[in-house]
Amino acid sequence: MSTDVNFDVAQEEREGVPVLAVRGEVDVSTAPDVRERLLALAEAGTTLAVVDLSEVSFVDSTALGVLVSGVKRLRNNGGDLRLVVTQPHIAKVFEITGLTEVFKIFPTADEAVRA
Amino acid sequence: MSTPASLVPEGDTVEQRDRVELSVPARPELMFLVRMTAAAVASRADFGYDQIEDLRLAIDELCLAVCGEDPTEGRLQLLFKWTDDAIEVVGLYDPEDDRAVKLSGQPASELSERILDALVDEHGADTVGGCPRAWLRMKRRKGGM
Repeated sequence: MSTDVNFDVAQEEREGVPVLAVRGEVDVSTAPDVRERLLALAEAGTTLAVVDLSEVSFVDSTALGVLVSGVKRLRNNGGDLRLVVTQPHIAKVFEITGLTEVFKIFPTADEAVRA
Repeated sequence: MSTPASLVPEGDTVEQRDRVELSVPARPELMFLVRMTAAAVASRADFGYDQIEDLRLAIDELCLAVCGEDPTEGRLQLLFKWTDDAIEVVGLYDPEDDRAVKLSGQPASELSERILDALVDEHGADTVGGCPRAWLRMKRRKGGM
């Protein structure tokens, strides 16, 4: 588990949907924590989950890879992984990698849950 | 500490005062130090906020290219240098032992390559004495925030 003071993952449920609220920098050091959380959800049979990146200040390709693996697993379960992205420089990373075509991205966790 | 010859391209004319050298243990939890240095250099070179964020990400991808996602030993050496219109960064991973290094310095993944292609003006990679090396160049955009 990461001990990075600039990183945290909190899990809550909204209307029965697990929401992972990630805070800080998601890189090669911290992305494994997100991977473990998503794996645990998939193994528990979760179909729909939300990763809230609104408090994330940095993502790199390892973070994106973890999210791509997560969405594949949940879609294999017949579900989906939705994202919340609010910061322009984070949205830009999804745009330049073409991942806006892969993920459903929302401005708030509530909208992601209810869509 | 002198700059490793393998970090300085042939014919380099950038003055010493416009260079920053960084050597860190190649451990994932220390990559934030590299990003912080990149941001500081970009700010010193008068890059705008958007380009500083772009450089932070590009440097991170460069480090992934030379070190891989799970380096356990060795050091990562970086040379940052800036001119009136651009920043160049060279990264070299020295495993400091005899184990075979399978890394080539090429982007760590397709996603990483897309990021580098989009954010920097030029990037490339090779190996020096069995050590993976990668470099990038980012020109200052006019009118950046």
